[in-house]
Amino acid sequence: MSDSGLALSTRGLKKSYGSRLALDGLDLTVPTGVVYGFLGPNGAGKTTTMRVLTGLIHPDGGAIEMLGKPFTRRDRRRLFDVGALVESPAFYPYLSGRENLRALAASGAPVPTGRVDEVLELVGLRERGGDKVSRYSLGMKQRLGIAGALLNDPKLLLLDEPANGLDPAGIVAMRETLRHLASIGKTVFVSSHLLAEVQQMADVVGIIAAGRLVREGTMQELLAAEGVVRVKVEPGEVPAAVAALGRLVDPGHVSPSTAEPGWISVQITPERSAEVNRAIGEAGIWVSGLASGNDLEELFLTLTGAASAGDPDGTFASIDRSAGGDSTGTPS
Amino acid sequence: MRLFRSGLRKLTTRLATFLTFGLLAGLLVLIDLAVATTRGQGGNDNGGDPLLLITFPGAYDNILAFMLGLGGLFGVIYGAAIAGSEWTWGTFKTSVARGESRSRYLLSTFAAIALVLAIGLLITFLIGVVAAALSATIAGIGLDGIGDADTLTALPENFARGWVAITATAALGFAVATLARSQLAGIGVGIAFYFGETFAGIFLPDVVKYMPFHLANTAVGGGSDGFGAPPDPGALTADTALVLVTVWLVGSLVVAAVFSERAEITG
Repeated sequence: MSDSGLALSTRGLKKSYGSRLALDGLDLTVPTGVVYGFLGPNGAGKTTTMRVLTGLIHPDGGAIEMLGKPFTRRDRRRLFDVGALVESPAFYPYLSGRENLRALAASGAPVPTGRVDEVLELVGLRERGGDKVSRYSLGMKQRLGIAGALLNDPKLLLLDEPANGLDPAGIVAMRETLRHLASIGKTVFVSSHLLAEVQQMADVVGIIAAGRLVREGTMQELLAAEGVVRVKVEPGEVPAAVAALGRLVDPGHVSPSTAEPGWISVQITPERSAEVNRAIGEAGIWVSGLASGNDLEELFLTLTGAASAGDPDGTFASIDRSAGGDSTGTPS
Repeated sequence: MRLFRSGLRKLTTRLATFLTFGLLAGLLVLIDLAVATTRGQGGNDNGGDPLLLITFPGAYDNILAFMLGLGGLFGVIYGAAIAGSEWTWGTFKTSVARGESRSRYLLSTFAAIALVLAIGLLITFLIGVVAAALSATIAGIGLDGIGDADTLTALPENFARGWVAITATAALGFAVATLARSQLAGIGVGIAFYFGETFAGIFLPDVVKYMPFHLANTAVGGGSDGFGAPPDPGALTADTALVLVTVWLVGSLVVAAVFSERAEITG
């Protein structure tokens, strides 16, 4: 693949929409043969990055190297080795799923006969392949979109929120498929706001905020550096518990959950969870739940600055807290 | 060729295709049958005899004239519908993300439209001939002129000119919808252009004669401002009009292709 061992890299990628800066010098480094989770809050620049990487829009500055070679607006054929699902899947509603894939196969890289049925089988749509897409559910359209991205047996797969609309079984199947693709040497670049999903699936994670990469590394590296202990108390006792924990660690590292009343997150290594329990006990508060571990969500909130931007009422934050997120923390 | 064949498959399974030609043929049949069943009672001193519409060999020219008149409007709508839906549904975006050339994709799609127009117009014309013959029989008019050699000899060229003219209007709708990136906007602007040009023809005939819908008529009408209409001394010749129609056709496609190459595809 690439001499550098990279499937994809960007250096100083910039893109503006009018006066709004969408990408502000984005540097991505995506090794070959991994699942790369690309995380960021809404408006951080994930979809803009996807559009640039698929040649839909052109960057104002910076460089892209794809599959070991530079990728500019004159290098569209580089995309023959790339499969992409950008934003929502797009199809002709009056054609069947199979006919849509055939129509798609007519553009870009040539596709061998029989590949359409192979990818339909892969995404579990073979039996419904003859149905018109207008009769498909959102999840089925998403599966068909993934099938379309796999049509040319790509070396690099770019997927924008691939779990959108999928049911739990579909999400598991998609995860297994993407893991399998990585295991046979293909590179999967997944943009998502489903933090728990990315935590389970990705080998390498990049976190983007305000158009810049704020952290990148293997999942293990990132989580080892960011421990968290979560405790649950009675919701009415949260202020007192927060005050007690604020004496144990920097008060800025203690954050009550807005989504789950009673839960408090403490940025502290999991080995010190007993100290957390004791600090609350000494304040005369009983802990009804405790989970220590390393949580991508906490890391995400810390790095993107979204925790402090959350709505105090807990109704909506400036970030998407994943609906499928691991709300109780991931035990170590 | 892959794109062209795929474009053909998409068009021949699309409701808009059947609706466009179905409406055109349906209206033609209805008019012929109405004339036949009323025995041309709508005639007056100014309008001539309506039975001439279904009297051969003149019926051939009348069918072509009808197809060209309404076909121009249908052509612009059809072209806009196909190009606009590629943006509205996001299917153009998906193909571009696969590394497909934007301009080649659009031009192949339009080539398929042009072929479908040729086939659709031919079928519509044949339906029109059958309907006119049937109506003539109902009205008790003889079919003696149906095999008129002069008319039949000129028919292929007139049909080809009509096809080019309608294809040019389809290209116009195609380009407008590409620029607007919207099916509805393309159709709306196309219809407005059609009626706007017709209306402007009253006040600005010297300008409007160079506009696509008027040129379409002139390209087939042989030097008159409309197929079958009396010659207008100020009108362009049919050959000049055909050249200008081709300029509109090519120009529209160039605009669509250049725009698509430069466009930022978002949403």
